[in-house]
Amino acid sequence: MPPLNQLAQVPVKKRFPRELDGLEALVSFTDQFFRDGSVDSRLRFAVDLCIEELFVNMVRYNRETVHPIQLELATCEQGVKITLTDYDVERFDPRSAPAADVHAPLEQRQPGGLGLFLVMKMVDSIHYEYANRESKISVVISDGAQHV
Amino acid sequence: MFKVAKADNGVIHMSGRLDAAQAPRAQEFLDSEQGPCVIDLSALQYISSAGLGVLLRTHKRLMAAGESVKLVEVNAHINDVFSYSGFDRLFAIETASDVG
Repeated sequence: MPPLNQLAQVPVKKRFPRELDGLEALVSFTDQFFRDGSVDSRLRFAVDLCIEELFVNMVRYNRETVHPIQLELATCEQGVKITLTDYDVERFDPRSAPAADVHAPLEQRQPGGLGLFLVMKMVDSIHYEYANRESKISVVISDGAQHV
Repeated sequence: MFKVAKADNGVIHMSGRLDAAQAPRAQEFLDSEQGPCVIDLSALQYISSAGLGVLLRTHKRLMAAGESVKLVEVNAHINDVFSYSGFDRLFAIETASDVG
């Protein structure tokens, strides 16, 4: 029986219905990943935030599909790798999203547009692949990243 | 689990996880606030951009009416999110360490 931290090297994945009400199920899945893999709890807030922002972005903007979204979690040398895959959708590279102006005064600020900005602030790296109408976003979060 | 309630002293307390699923409920609650609004976040464990949108929308509405939103007992995780988002320049914020 390998130790828990080796077991966690094996990625865990699950598909989730594309509903905002389903966020609780993603949190439960992440709970189990952190618990079973003895993953550093200091990464949890940033991991939760990146999962939610990327998942919600897919739900809100990839409306042409009904397929569930796959979440895959794995530990890596640097920390945690999160991969979200959306099926039968158009290409959308989150790295190309316009940056939020967080220095604008209150009267010019509008709700929205902060989700992907926060993801970019919190990850060490972000990778995007698109092939056969599958959109796959991977991010790595480590304890050296500028996460909370 | 997200909860929002107003105490007898007028302070609003939020607890749990303010995510995209819970943001409409938080918005509905805050939409009924008319005066200066103090929100205690000491028991709020998590906030995403959807929750930030709720706070921003409420702050803009109250500021337009000459009022404001003050966020108190903010934990370090959430304070960092406020800082990244520029909310520290828009809101009056008291962190948990400010209070003691």
